[in-house]
Amino acid sequence: MAKGVRIAGVWKVFPPNVVALKDISVEIRPGEFFVILGPSGSGKTTLLRIIAGLEIPTRGSVAIGDREVVNVEKGVFVEPRDRNVGMVFQNWALYPHMTAYDNIAFPLRLKRMPEEEIKKRVTEVAEALGIAELLDRKPGHMSGGQQQRVAVARALVKQPDVLLLDEPFSNLDARIRVTAREFVKELQKKLGITTILVTHDQADAFAVGDRIMVLRRGETQQIGVPEELYSSPANVFIANFIGDPPTNIYKLPTSHRLVKSLGIPQGVEEGYGELYIGIRPDEAAALKPGDEGHLEGRVVLVEYVGSRRYAKVDVGDGVSLKVLLECDANTGDPVRVRVQKVHVFAPSGERLATLTY
Amino acid sequence: MRRALRSGRPGLIGSPFKILVLNVVAWAVGVLWITPFIGIFMTSIRPFREVVLHGWWSPVPFTPTLKNYVDALFNPMFSLSRGIINSFIIAVPSTLIPVGIAALTAYGFARFSLPVKRYLFVTILFLMAVPQQMMIIPIFFLLKDLHLLNTYLGLILVHSSWGIPWITFFLKNYFSLLPVELEEAARVDGATDFQVFRKVVLPLALPGLISASVLQFAWVWNDFFFALMLIFDPDKMVVTQMLPRLKGQYQVDWGLLSSGSVIAMLAPLLIYALFNRYYMRGFRGWAMKG
Amino acid sequence: MTSLRMSPTRISFFIPALILILVFVVYPIIATILLSLNINPIPGTEIVEGAPGLENYVKVVSDKRFLNPKGVEQASFPMGAIVHNVIWIAIHLPLTLVVGILFAVFLQYVKGGSIIRSFIFLGMVIPMIVGGLLIQFSFDKDLGVVNLLLKASGLGFLAKTWTIYPDTALFSLILGSVWLWSGFTVTMYSAGLSSLPREVIEAAIVDGADFKTILFKIIIPMLKPVTLTVVAMTILWDLKIFDIVYASTQGGPGGASNVLALLMYEYFARLGDYAMSATVATILTLVVIPVVLLWIRSIMRGGEG
Ligand SMILES: Nc1ncnc2c1ncn2[C@@H]1O[C@H](COP(=O)(O)OP(=O)(O)O)[C@@H](O)[C@H]1O
Ligand SMILES: [Mg+2]
Repeated sequence: MAKGVRIAGVWKVFPPNVVALKDISVEIRPGEFFVILGPSGSGKTTLLRIIAGLEIPTRGSVAIGDREVVNVEKGVFVEPRDRNVGMVFQNWALYPHMTAYDNIAFPLRLKRMPEEEIKKRVTEVAEALGIAELLDRKPGHMSGGQQQRVAVARALVKQPDVLLLDEPFSNLDARIRVTAREFVKELQKKLGITTILVTHDQADAFAVGDRIMVLRRGETQQIGVPEELYSSPANVFIANFIGDPPTNIYKLPTSHRLVKSLGIPQGVEEGYGELYIGIRPDEAAALKPGDEGHLEGRVVLVEYVGSRRYAKVDVGDGVSLKVLLECDANTGDPVRVRVQKVHVFAPSGERLATLTY
Repeated sequence: MRRALRSGRPGLIGSPFKILVLNVVAWAVGVLWITPFIGIFMTSIRPFREVVLHGWWSPVPFTPTLKNYVDALFNPMFSLSRGIINSFIIAVPSTLIPVGIAALTAYGFARFSLPVKRYLFVTILFLMAVPQQMMIIPIFFLLKDLHLLNTYLGLILVHSSWGIPWITFFLKNYFSLLPVELEEAARVDGATDFQVFRKVVLPLALPGLISASVLQFAWVWNDFFFALMLIFDPDKMVVTQMLPRLKGQYQVDWGLLSSGSVIAMLAPLLIYALFNRYYMRGFRGWAMKG
Repeated sequence: MTSLRMSPTRISFFIPALILILVFVVYPIIATILLSLNINPIPGTEIVEGAPGLENYVKVVSDKRFLNPKGVEQASFPMGAIVHNVIWIAIHLPLTLVVGILFAVFLQYVKGGSIIRSFIFLGMVIPMIVGGLLIQFSFDKDLGVVNLLLKASGLGFLAKTWTIYPDTALFSLILGSVWLWSGFTVTMYSAGLSSLPREVIEAAIVDGADFKTILFKIIIPMLKPVTLTVVAMTILWDLKIFDIVYASTQGGPGGASNVLALLMYEYFARLGDYAMSATVATILTLVVIPVVLLWIRSIMRGGEG
């Protein structure tokens, strides 16, 4: 049966004083595909290693299912080998001197399982992962994608309660990445295994995650389903970090023309001299000058992303917004910008309101 | 487990007791490992009679003396002070010459295309490993014909030639890791090959050159066989060559030998201590493709 | 990176080294081979007596100091220089490998491990001639640490000056050479260990491996390239061993610790038989060559992989 993971009040300080994790608490549900998302150095790997037992928190506790595997205050620590977790390392960490078969069989051999049982299990998992033909190859003779599958197989073969994946896609070519994501997601759903994946890439996170936790400098920023992170970012950092192209964010005095023309209600700005205004490029459009909209501006740059066109529009007072280009304006042409949604943040960063027009 | 919690990192070895035992055993063995050095040093600074009667490890009676050193340094037959000077006279040029020459060759190997480069390189590796014994007899007669036998110059030439293969190997690896863009920039700016080598490559490779020099110096200093075969005049002998001759005919005079040993190993030990990083880098590069 | 085309100025980079190596390394090697075949390679000297041929090799092989069948049969020293060299390898190589791996692995968990490592390395720093004297000193009946330890552990009856008895002289030198040479193996394995990816070992921890399993199933197999280099260099060193023996026993007593390099020197210096000396040198080199080839192969592979 799948087990959940409960992380409570976890701190990690590396000597002398690098605070890698600050008071992390989260409950991961049985069978959930949980993603930890954050820029490099935000403490993601550290958190994963604490769950695996490769690192011990400075404070706090972790439980897998009903069993506490580490609780610093109570002096509980369960060795990694007794936690029944499977882990896929960022660089896959395959044993280079062993064939794929021996790599996958390694955890089972350590359990002194009979050789024919091992063979059955390895073949089973190799078939599920589509690497049955690779079993007698060594890692040096495999592509990145194949190595990744072997690493996943090695983590899965012991039927772990929790599967931990550290940046599993970051060493793959862009094209394989897409299939690899789908593959991992499907596999996870099929096996129903509780999975925690760490990534710095929001596209990974949105592709596979049931829920996402955003970390920044060791602190939780927001935990939620992907739509939530996109539609109601908890703070400026998330608004900036999530979404592609990135959100237009300006810190403006409340008296600023832009704030006025967006019609932000009195109640929201009350008590603040300044506000952060966040407008997603996909939630605003540059239209013909005559059309209905909030702002006047001039196109300074046109850019293609896939099939979509974005225009960078100078709306005066040192503010320029990247928005969807929905007319045939070119560089230098005047346009009218219509905004569909505005996220408003306090100077300290947290979200005050999201206004929809 | 408690320990693991305190140290913040799970250990491989396990219980704190095991770790403690490991530490104690390791240090005991470590100290045991250098006792011969301690012994020879203690023997060298006390009268030999005292050492014979009580052992060098005995704390009492302890009569420190420099007599053994004076005897060794100013020995009427094999004066180690002369030996030290001779060792320097040999070792300094035997370091500078091959490092300079091998740097050129190594650069050629690293950057120029050469039809038989691979074979030449294998040859160099082979020459690194051939025993000194395999070439000493013809060298002996060659130097004799050139009237270089029993001269500093003769020994320097032999040491230099002997050092070139390994230094070439070492520096070739080093040069291969240098960014080629700087050299290309210099070439585009109109520098000749030799200017590129002098002005760009050598300064960049300075740490590698130091490593090679440090190691070559230590080896020439430590060498015994070439000196033994090619120098006969007691006034020209190097320190390692004089040392076994201090042994005495029937009874080993450890008083004299111990101070002599300390004197002979002082230079390489100092080099090792002062240039530790360079020494170790050179040492690893000497044996492996770095 | 594309290589630069060859040109006359570029060739000049190779000239000085080429001259010195041809004159002082390559020519002497060839000349030594010729000399061993009774062909005089040095004009103007009278150093060859016999007719060209393999006669010297026959003479060397039947020389008791090279190979003493009687000694080998009765397992008593001297057995001949070449047998002594083989014994040297047979004992020294495994011991020094084990010491190297054990220290490299365990010193990671010892406070001040790098200090102990540099203690062990001292044997590599000092002149080997001093190393030989230190070995003799350490096995001395009255002064040596070996006998001091024996007495301290109640084995005082074994205490003697080990280097002056035929049945122990060679073994004491070999043990001494383990002491001197382990600096090499420890250093090599430590460097190899620190370049192993930490994650691979951690993966094994998560997979449930204990320390012993990780050491034997993961670490040691992954250090195989280092082991290849270390084995080759150690065998080469054992075959070329000279200074240690010269300084401590001079090959004695009665040839009980004689080795090939010393035998070569004896022919040269004591007997003035240059052709025989060259023959021993050539045999020594022939024995060395397979090891050299192994080493070269591992280096050329490492360079491409
Ligand atoms: N063993 C360690 N010792 C000291 N600092 C560490 C160690 N491991 C990680 N850190 C620090 O902790 C922070 C978080 O690291 P990490 O968890 O690897 O981040 P991420 O995986 O999100 O990139 C970084 O500042 C990193 O430098
Ligand atoms: Mg990371």
